[in-house]
Amino acid sequence: MFRILFTLAALVSASMIIFIFVFIFKKGVAVFLPSYPNPINIWDFLSGLTWRADKGEYGVLFIVINTIISAFFAMLIAFPISVLTALYIVKMSPKSIRSALTTVVELLAAIPSVVYGVFASAVIVKWVDSLAQSLNYSTFGGRSVLAVSILLAMMTLPTMTSLSIVAIKSVKKELEHASLALGASQTQTNFKVVLMAAKSGIFSGLILGLARAFGEATAVSMVAGNRSIGPSLNPFDITRTLTSTMLSGLNETSGLDYDVRYAVGIVLMITILVSNAAINYFKRRIGSETK
Amino acid sequence: MTKKRKFKDILYNTMTYLASSVSVIILVLIISFVVVKGKDSLSFDMIRNDYWSQNYLVSFPLDKEKKFKKDFELEEHQAFSSKYGIVLEDSLNHEKEEQVIITYINDGSPFNRSIDESIKNQEGPVLTVSLGDQMEKLVLINPDGSEENVGIIYSDTAKEMIDAMDSSESIKSLYYQSPGGGIWGSLVATLLLIALSLFFALPLGIFTAIYLNEIADKGKLSSAIEYSIDLLAGVPSIVFGLMGVIVLYPITSIFKIEGLSILLGSLTMSIVLLPVVIRSVQESLKVVPDGLRMASLSLGASRTQTIFKIVLPSAMSGILSAMLLAISRIIGESAALIYTMGTFINDSPKISEGATSLAVHIWSIMSQEQPNFELASAISIIILGIVLVLNISVKIISKRLDRKLGY
Repeated sequence: MFRILFTLAALVSASMIIFIFVFIFKKGVAVFLPSYPNPINIWDFLSGLTWRADKGEYGVLFIVINTIISAFFAMLIAFPISVLTALYIVKMSPKSIRSALTTVVELLAAIPSVVYGVFASAVIVKWVDSLAQSLNYSTFGGRSVLAVSILLAMMTLPTMTSLSIVAIKSVKKELEHASLALGASQTQTNFKVVLMAAKSGIFSGLILGLARAFGEATAVSMVAGNRSIGPSLNPFDITRTLTSTMLSGLNETSGLDYDVRYAVGIVLMITILVSNAAINYFKRRIGSETK
Repeated sequence: MTKKRKFKDILYNTMTYLASSVSVIILVLIISFVVVKGKDSLSFDMIRNDYWSQNYLVSFPLDKEKKFKKDFELEEHQAFSSKYGIVLEDSLNHEKEEQVIITYINDGSPFNRSIDESIKNQEGPVLTVSLGDQMEKLVLINPDGSEENVGIIYSDTAKEMIDAMDSSESIKSLYYQSPGGGIWGSLVATLLLIALSLFFALPLGIFTAIYLNEIADKGKLSSAIEYSIDLLAGVPSIVFGLMGVIVLYPITSIFKIEGLSILLGSLTMSIVLLPVVIRSVQESLKVVPDGLRMASLSLGASRTQTIFKIVLPSAMSGILSAMLLAISRIIGESAALIYTMGTFINDSPKISEGATSLAVHIWSIMSQEQPNFELASAISIIILGIVLVLNISVKIISKRLDRKLGY
């Protein structure tokens, strides 16, 4: 009797992911179908460079580009820092600092994203604004690509650090000893042997970090500024990401403008999957080079 | 070691030290920011108050002349009315607008016995003006019978209002507002949300973990289930919000609930929590020694008995930490809840109505025209405090578990 209950519970839990994909796909695709009251052209949607609900123009291409740009900058900042932090925690730190720093990283991971958002929209935007002024640029109160990137770097840092710690911990001691015995210094060993050997785990951290950067919604919406035309290539320009599009003006909307958010959701999930595949490909390339 | 090598080593090490300090700096920056910005707004009143101000129009029963004496010192920006026995003070409300609030009411003051005037043509119930209420508009009757209006809407200060009151004959009516900007409704909604989400997520998650760990053969089915749970863990929370609105909405409409509701939010959260609960319970089931199971089975207990009487009790600490992690996730969640519970701050939340959790409350006040950083930071202090305590407790619990198992 209970056996059936347990099995049923497991099947329900497992089927949730299928529900999510099937239903969101169904609802997201519906806005392109002729059966929808005022359908939008799927080609215009995928290649469009403007997003103006008031004019009924929904183009998602530039939003995808903006999302990728801000996530890329975030990774550029956070990835090296998190790998080095993990290296320090596992290989270089004294025991007392080690547990303290691990706790700090875990606590950072536990801070809710709205709190990051409040911090970003009060502090990070001011940094960006003063940086922009010193470079003779003007910003919209600091809301910008750069602010989003710094925020995302902060938010993905703990995720990537934790995974890198696991990866570096699992590197075999023999490898390290062999390198030291050949006369390499400890630092040389750490950077050239340990990190290289932990590469695979470190890259899965990158994948998770990137997924979090793409999927982060509330905090990003607070500093993105929601630009409506064209990709933002200037780091001091306001931007619009997939998630900020899905959240903007949510409570005063209905009909097409609401339903199109499901299509954006599909694009978001595809973006995450494609970027994962790209990193995996990149990882394999690096792997084959060092062999 | 060559000089060049040494130089390079020092360079690399310095880089590592600098990088490691970044996490500490970020944590210190965030915590000190919310504490500095929010500590002045954080108070017991702010926790207990409603978010929306209530407006009241009251009059006072005719009283024989009375004189009140003050037996305390007034602070700056305060004024005392000897005719009515109250103290008014200039202050700023949570939206930083100028306000005149009542800070003292003498026991014998007519302000304790005001009559609700908003009910037309009949004597309203007796209302008590309470401390902290904002004086909006007073209609006074002067000794010559003429009416005089004073109040914050005529930008009068506390002193000016008191002077006008003391020189007038009587008060015709008073329009006042209860203080708003509180988080009581969101706090209650958060607790409701936590209770309901755990009610749905814990049994489902624990049973799934038991299936995967105790019952399933290691085959295609169980690895497919594990894989789909891994996938679920990687779904962004905003996508859970989309899912909640279309997949779970039909479930809430069975209960005749129209629109967004706490029930819908908690059903959605229970799906978000599944991977957390399943993984954490599985971890704790894995470390229950097989000997215990064998012993129970060999004594003639059935498989189900063994699971409920032997395995689950030994895995209790894992279930507890799963629960704490789940609570911390619920408190921090925002995107999924914005979709399923809405962003309207509800002062008296019900399961069948939309409301905001504390995190969504922050989102809601941050997306206003003039974001209120002080209030947002004050709520952030509360959220951060709870989340950090929960996470540290989980750490302590798992450490004790490790020690118990002799790691």
